[in-house]
Order: sequence, then structure tokens, then C-alpha cells
Amino acid sequence: MEVTWLHLVPLLPLIGAAVCGLAGKWLPKGWVYAVALASVLLSFLVGLRAFMGLGEQVQLFHELAFNWFSAGSLRVDMAFTFDRLSGALTLVVTGVGFLIHVYSVGYMDEDPGYWRYFSYLNLFVAAMLTLILGDNLVAMFVGWEGVGLCSYLLIGFWFTDEEKAYAGRKAFIVNRIGDFGFLIGIFILFNQIGSVGFAQVNSAALPLGVASIAALCLFIGATGKSAQLPLYIWLPDAMAGPTPVSALIHAATMVTAGVYMVARLSHLYVSAPGIMAVVAVVGVLTAIWSALIATSQNDIKKVLAYSTVSQLGFMFIGVGVGAFFAGTMHLVTHAFFKACLFLGSGAVIHGLQGEQDIQRMGGLRRYMPSTRTTFLIATIAITGILPISGFFSKDEILGQALHTRAFGFLTLGYSGPHLTFLGPLIYAVGSFSAFLTSFYMWRCYFLTFSGEYRGPESVHPHESPSVMTLPLWILAGLSVVGLVLGLPQPWVHGTALQGWTWEHFTEGVFSRPRGGAPEEFAPYLGYGIALIVGWAGWAGAYALYFKRGLAGDELLTSRVRGLRRALANKLYVDELYGWAVVRPIWALARGLWRFVDATLIDGLFVNGIPSLIAWISAMARRFQNGDVQRYAAVTALGVAALLYVFLVRG
Amino acid sequence: MDFFHAHQAQHYLVLAALLFALGAAGVVLRRNAIIVLMSIELMLNAVNLTFLAFSRFPLVPNPPMGSFLSGHAAAFFVIATAAAEAAVGLAIIIAVFRSRTSVNVDEFDTLKL
Repeated sequence: MEVTWLHLVPLLPLIGAAVCGLAGKWLPKGWVYAVALASVLLSFLVGLRAFMGLGEQVQLFHELAFNWFSAGSLRVDMAFTFDRLSGALTLVVTGVGFLIHVYSVGYMDEDPGYWRYFSYLNLFVAAMLTLILGDNLVAMFVGWEGVGLCSYLLIGFWFTDEEKAYAGRKAFIVNRIGDFGFLIGIFILFNQIGSVGFAQVNSAALPLGVASIAALCLFIGATGKSAQLPLYIWLPDAMAGPTPVSALIHAATMVTAGVYMVARLSHLYVSAPGIMAVVAVVGVLTAIWSALIATSQNDIKKVLAYSTVSQLGFMFIGVGVGAFFAGTMHLVTHAFFKACLFLGSGAVIHGLQGEQDIQRMGGLRRYMPSTRTTFLIATIAITGILPISGFFSKDEILGQALHTRAFGFLTLGYSGPHLTFLGPLIYAVGSFSAFLTSFYMWRCYFLTFSGEYRGPESVHPHESPSVMTLPLWILAGLSVVGLVLGLPQPWVHGTALQGWTWEHFTEGVFSRPRGGAPEEFAPYLGYGIALIVGWAGWAGAYALYFKRGLAGDELLTSRVRGLRRALANKLYVDELYGWAVVRPIWALARGLWRFVDATLIDGLFVNGIPSLIAWISAMARRFQNGDVQRYAAVTALGVAALLYVFLVRG
Repeated sequence: MDFFHAHQAQHYLVLAALLFALGAAGVVLRRNAIIVLMSIELMLNAVNLTFLAFSRFPLVPNPPMGSFLSGHAAAFFVIATAAAEAAVGLAIIIAVFRSRTSVNVDEFDTLKL
């Protein structure tokens, strides 16, 4: 259905960003807060009203805001589509975004740059909504780059700290590498289809090769934005930004853009099954890789950052095995509990006057009851030891991976074996990652909140103001209520809850994988295994850390010293990239600067031409020295030469 | 051909060329402005000698009546011009000497400005 008000959803935060950014320095503080919060809240309400309007008759709202540009056969519109998927994500972005705005009022109150902060945050929400609602690849790319810009601005928010400014640059550059792939993907699709709209792309019949290359290029973009192997390295460093930013951008919304993009282009990916296998394998490798690293990190935000990378890997498993609904469902539930975890860590950091090292925390349950309880709920949700939101969404992904038919007809060469083993393999590795997830999250929880306080005497831990704890409680509540999304179909069949399960809700939005729907499977065995895995991780962490505290780390180190050191050093990936990529590029850049820029351009062209003219002038100046006698001499010589030419030789 | 006994234009022309060269050398090489002026007189007189030589030994066999006088007339013009030039030149030299206390031409190089 065509409507005329959909553009308000991204426009309102954009106005908020403009007001805060341009006038925020002179406006009273309360006004800045009011504008920033109201713009996101109004956007949320518009989204909610639209969401209520969706139903059996109205499958989607569409608005052609304006024709952005046309060139030849290329027509790019700024147009928005609000269907069940983009609508639900709009509510997540604006809803969680609003809660984080509220939280930020408490968190950033003492920072002199608060108006700049809220301007960036509003701009981010506007860009993210453009990304989600855009009805074509180019509009999505605008949002894609916009969130990247805001991410850069907010990671380097405290830019006077060189390390933080560096982290911002790193995020931007790594994202640019991925975005290059994304752009190439758009070009290929336009070249082959003649259109960049999602509707056209999702109804085009593409040859396998073209679809594969386009899907692969777009997935490279997703690995950058969504922090997957091999481009995940920017996300842990992105924790340099303010903690609410980590919650909003680097956990709940922006980093899930890649998952959303793959789900949005489900038809394209389904027609490139080989690339779906690549997506799923990259997802599972990322999941286990970063879960391993997370077990040995001591910065509370780094633990959560690697956890985010790992959970994003799970989402990519979901979309990679053709269970697009499972991947996006985990996206939504992860937005709730990971935002809650990050905001909880922010409350801890705030209450400890900037301390981020869990070695100097401990025993905080007594000082911060609200933070502790909400953190506990969110930890239960992510580790899945009790069946709340994260349990169902994660298990849905793993179950779908085990039973997928997406890879059954893929072979390694003409006579090679079929890749039917891939699904169960992903299930096994993914379940081990889930075990690690449970282990490192409970380690983080026990070291932070259990035992005795290990920090310095001078720091007095205290609970955060209610403006910060209220969002925590709401997000914790959502982490629990989110379980409705993931209830298995047999349980809710025929009840009022049926319409709320994500699988039912997104019916018809996604394409089916080529191998057909996965085999019908009874979820109970999978649930049992998932519970065992989750409790095993809990038990491991409990045995090591609950009584011993930090001594648990030492015990672990004494057993597997080399592995622990490697994990604590993030498996030396940054060093590897530094050696293999960054240093050669630096050397090349220095060479270009020294030779091409300084020598060729500056020396030969910029300075060389003037000095040539100066030399010619110096020569010419000798004829104009004002000495009459020399003029006379030259004249006489000239006459003599002429006489010689005309009289003697002529 | 008896160079030293035939009374022909060459003798006078050679002498005039030598005088002209001497004068030109003086103009170019000497620093004293008065000597430079004198050298210019020398060059002018070399030219006069040329005029007169061609007047006496015309290049064509039967020149029209009175044409030999035009060489003399030209010489007179040159003498008059030389006198005027010497007067103006000396006046300039005196004026310059008053402001610069020097008559060296190589110090008068403000022309380049």
C-alpha cells in the first residue's frame, strides 16, 4: 500500500541530529535531551502505528519519497518499504535506540560534548532506519555508509585520546574494505538485472555464476559491517567509544546490518547455494573463533565485544543454512539481551569511575542490585541455561543447521561427495561455541558480581541513577518476553501466541532454500542438548570462578599456558594483519609519498618548472645589466655578424 | 696590383675602417665618459672619410653631374651633428658628474631599472 508518511520514520531522528548538532552548543541542556529523545520516540511511535496497520490485507507499506537520480536506464529512488521484517527491525532500532538515549542522559551527563554525542546518536538512528527501510540497494547503501560514519564518529568520540581516535579510523578503514565488495555487488546486480530495487533483485532469475559472484561480493560487505572473519578485527577495538554507543551500534543494531542484508536478499542467496555454504561456514568459524578469544579477555567490554562477534556468527549460520527467520530472530533477541549486557557493563564502569578490568571488580552484587539482576537475566538469555529468548533463537539456528537441506546437492567437483555433512558439522561446532559462550559469559558474571570486591579502596562502587537502571529493567524484561518469538510451532499452534512467533510472523518474507524446507524435526532433543551444553558451560565457570575468583584464571593458565596466552593476545590476529597487510601498505604509501609526491610532483613539477623559468630569466637578465658599453659591444658584434653574413657569405 | 701606388678608394676605406674600429673599441672599452665621446667623434670621422672617398672615386663610371657633391654635403651634416652631439654629451656628462661625482660609464647602470 502506498503511503505518504513513511519518510517520517528516518526523517525525525535526522531533524533531531541537525538540531542537536547545529544548535546544541547554545541550547540549554534540557532542550538537547528533549529534542534527541523526542525525535527517536516519535519515530518509534510512527513505526508502531505502521506496525499495527500491517495485517492480512496490508502486507507492506511503501513510499516513494523522491526520485534521487536517474542516468540512462539507472533509476534510483529514495523509497521506503515497511514490511514485517523491516517493520519489526524499525521497532527494535527505535525502541532499543530510545532506551539507550534515555540511558545516555545519565551516562553522558557530565561530558561537555553531550550535544555532539546526541547529534551523532540521532544521526545514527536516522541512517540505520534508512538502511532498514530502503527499498533498493542504493538507498540501503546510503544507510550502510551513514551508520559506518556514525560508528566512526562515536568510536572516536573522545578523539583527544590518540588510541581511541585510532580505533575509530581502524573501524572506518576495515569497513571500507567490506563496503568495496558491497558496491561491486550492487554494480553486478545492476549490470545483470538493470535495476537496484529489492523487489526486482528478488524476482530476477539469475544464472548461478552471476548470482554467486554478486552474493559473494555483497557478503564481503556484510563481513565488514557485521564483523565476521576475516574483517572482525575492528569491533573489539570499537569498544573505545562510550558504552551506550557500544550497546546501540556495536551490539544491537549496526553490526546486524549484514545479517539483515542477507535476509533481505534471501532470493539472491537461495539462488547461489554455494555462497550460502560460505556464509554458514564463515558464521560458524567466526562464532567459535571469537568465543575462544572471549574466554580469556579481562576487559568487560572486550568480553562482550567478542561475544557480539560470536553471536553475529550464529546469525550468519542461520541465514547461511537457509533459515532466514532463525537468523533474523536471533538478531532481534540478541538486540535485547546484548544491549542489556552492554548497558549493564556501562553501569558497572560508571559505578566504578571508569574501571573496565574485571580483575578489579568482583562482589558488585551488593553495591549494584539492579545492575546485577538485569545482567544476570541477560546472561541467562545469552547462555540459554533457562529457556528464555536467547535459548530459543540460538537453538532454532542450530536445529535448522542440523536439518538443513540447503547443501545436499552441493558437491566438491563433479564426482566429489555431497556436502550433506556440512549441516551436522556446523551444528556440532556451533554447539561447542554455545558451550564456550556459556562459559565465558558466566566467567564474566562471576568475576564481576560474585566474590569479594577486588578494586582499590579509593573507588566506592555505587548503583547508577534510575535514568540508567530503568532502561536496564526494560531490556531485561524484553530479553525474557522475547522468548515468545522463538516458541516452536507445535507448542503454540492454535493459540493466541501463534501470531507472535517469528517464524509465523515473517511467513512469506523470505525465500525457501533450494533443497526445500528442512526436515520436520521434533525440537525436544535439540532443546535437551542445548540445555546440557549451556549448563556445562555454567558448571565449568562456576567450578573455576565462583569460589576462587581470579585464581580460577591462574588455575586455567597453569593447565594450558600457551593457549591461554594466545587467546589473551587475541590469537595474534592484529599482529598478523599488521605484518601482512598494514606494514606493506604503509611501506607502499611511504614510497609513494617519498618518490611520487615529494620527488616527482613536488620536485619535478611544482618546483622544477619555476626553477627552470628562473634559470632562463637569470640568463636573460645578463643582457639587461644597464652597462651601456656592453649594449654597445653587443650591438657592434651584431652588426659585424650581419655584415659577415651579407657581404662575405652573400 | 700595386696597392701602395694606385690612388684608389681602397686606401681610404681601409684607413676609415681602422679609424672606425679604433673608435668602436674606445666606446666599448674605455670607462671615462669623455674618452667615450672622443671615440664617438673618431667613429664619425671615419664615416666622413668614407663619404669623401666615395665622392672622389665614384663606384659607377660616369656619375651624374653634382653627385660627387652629395658626399661632401653628407660629411658636413655629420660634422654639424657631431658638434651638436658633443655639446649635448658634454652637458650630460657635467650634469651626471655633479650628481654622481664620477664620469665612469660603467657606474651609470641605472638604465636597467
